[in-house]
Amino acid sequence: MSWIDLEHLLLDAHPQRAVAHAPAFSHAALQERARCVAAALQQRGVTRLAVHLEDAAELAIALFAAWRAGVAVLLPSDLQAQTRQRWAGHVDLWLTDLPGDTRLDQLNADPLPPASLDLDQCSLSLCTSGSSGEPKLIEKRLRQLANEVSTLERLWGADLGDACIIGSVAAQHIYGLLFRVLWPLCAGRSFVRQQLPFPEDLQRASREHESFAWVASPALLKRMGDNLDWSHLSAVRRVFSSGGALPADAAASLHQRLGQWPSEILGSSETGGIAWRQGDTLWRAFDDVSLSQNADGALRIESPYLPSGHVEQTADAVRFLEDGHFELLGRLDRIVKLEEKRISLPLLEQALATHDWVSEARLAVVRGNRASLGALVVLSASGVHALRNQGRRALTQALRQHLVPYCEALALPRRWRLLSHLPLNAQGKLPQALIETLLVSPRTHVPDLVAQEQHDDEWRLELIVPLDLAHLPGHFPGTPILPGVVQVDWAMNLSQRLMDLPPRFAGMEVLKFQKLVRPGDRISLTLRFDPERSKLHFAYRNGEAACSSGRILLVNADA
Amino acid sequence: MSDLHQDIKQLIIDALGLEDISTHDIGNDQTLFGEGLGLDSVDALELGLAIQKRYGIKIDADAKDTRNHFTSVDSLAAFVSARQVA
Repeated sequence: MSWIDLEHLLLDAHPQRAVAHAPAFSHAALQERARCVAAALQQRGVTRLAVHLEDAAELAIALFAAWRAGVAVLLPSDLQAQTRQRWAGHVDLWLTDLPGDTRLDQLNADPLPPASLDLDQCSLSLCTSGSSGEPKLIEKRLRQLANEVSTLERLWGADLGDACIIGSVAAQHIYGLLFRVLWPLCAGRSFVRQQLPFPEDLQRASREHESFAWVASPALLKRMGDNLDWSHLSAVRRVFSSGGALPADAAASLHQRLGQWPSEILGSSETGGIAWRQGDTLWRAFDDVSLSQNADGALRIESPYLPSGHVEQTADAVRFLEDGHFELLGRLDRIVKLEEKRISLPLLEQALATHDWVSEARLAVVRGNRASLGALVVLSASGVHALRNQGRRALTQALRQHLVPYCEALALPRRWRLLSHLPLNAQGKLPQALIETLLVSPRTHVPDLVAQEQHDDEWRLELIVPLDLAHLPGHFPGTPILPGVVQVDWAMNLSQRLMDLPPRFAGMEVLKFQKLVRPGDRISLTLRFDPERSKLHFAYRNGEAACSSGRILLVNADA
Repeated sequence: MSDLHQDIKQLIIDALGLEDISTHDIGNDQTLFGEGLGLDSVDALELGLAIQKRYGIKIDADAKDTRNHFTSVDSLAAFVSARQVA
């Protein structure tokens, strides 16, 4: 196994050098195919090529072919109609797996001769969503990519040895492209062609190779269960993670199961790799990357993985330590000012999460007469216990008190919303605007309806009493319970949604309240209407225990 | 407790967006700022604006110690009564 520089991969053919498996694919075959495709691209007069191929070996062929032919390459992040439409003007040919587009095996011509690639002429463009959400193109010269893979090999080449590279991430993005394709090609390591997003597939692929390493992301790494053969998997040479922060407990769990900490890479499409860490909260920059801060304290990057002379200004607040390690403090848009005082929301969120009652917290600014902070808090089991036995005010006061050492008094959250879980969006994120909306919204007056079923004339509902129910505090502030009048109100409102009932309340009878209902309780409610007597029968139960029951007399509006 | 006291307590709660606090939780002679209710100087500024607007009175900007009126609900009530008569 010997290193071949990125620009020299189309120079000599190495039939013994494995590139990919199933089907097996050698460096010599890659080289030959790339030169044929390059010739075909030239024959067709293609100058701008979009490539979206699931198979990393095919992607490699297409990239090297384009570079050999002097064709500019675009790697779209997906093939959705909107994406295609957006970049249509930038592209002569779509080389993809989709019917209707050109397939790689349709590109064939007598091969161009072997040649070195020009580090400053060859390039590719990546698509990224950009922080504003508006997609943008990022151009990478071959030189930038070559610099980065050389650094990676210097750092980890010896550890990896001849490991087969198995990836859970797409090769279409910078991280997968570098770690799954370009770096292995230069190093002479083989890689698995397909992206393997599921743990079981990752395990199966791992079993097929004596030596292997993973190129993964938090999406997979935090969801690897006990169903896997960890004793076998612990042979993994190295576990790379990038694309987002790996939760500390996920990293610790991997360490415990594999006997090694995952190697986390900090980077972005714009910057390429910036820094890495392993079993540490602090990051260290890659050797040839030089970091500094702007006046606002945000990280600034000079790097051979950026276009030469370019300085990338990020929006990530950072704190440097003397030994060159650094700590990320969160995005600068999460650093807010209250009455001219700078407050780091992530810092306070972390502080809140250290409290026994809190499993997760998110903060945002609530704009009123004065701006203050509000907190969305997911309570732990002991937090729910505290809420039920001490009340909401005691709970929020204790959490405020807990934050006192961490911030000035004016940053202590004034508004609290207690939740059972954070309402993450499809990307697993909770946008700041949504946090703000949730904090501004009034507390709920209605139960969470988790199930409903009908048997003959009887309805059976499963309800959860929200932790943050607006009815709770005033009643018994120290031990919040669901007031009986609210139980009657819910029974009426829910049944009026399910059944066709007379609208007017005209009295109650045989009301019984046997067991208290408290925030967080999961309760069942049975509802049955007796049309002859015009009475709604309701009964709340918590498991086997009866909580309350009664009959509500309903009459027509004109009665 | 006079209506004015009650009214001022509600005004404090509304103007400062205090959660989980009812008028019963604020004592007439309780210190509002610093320890006490835990309000700060920015709250005092806000409350000053709210009081003036609600009762159609002006805090004399030239007078000394006007902020002493903001010590407690009692002192605020006395201040508002005196101003409304004046």
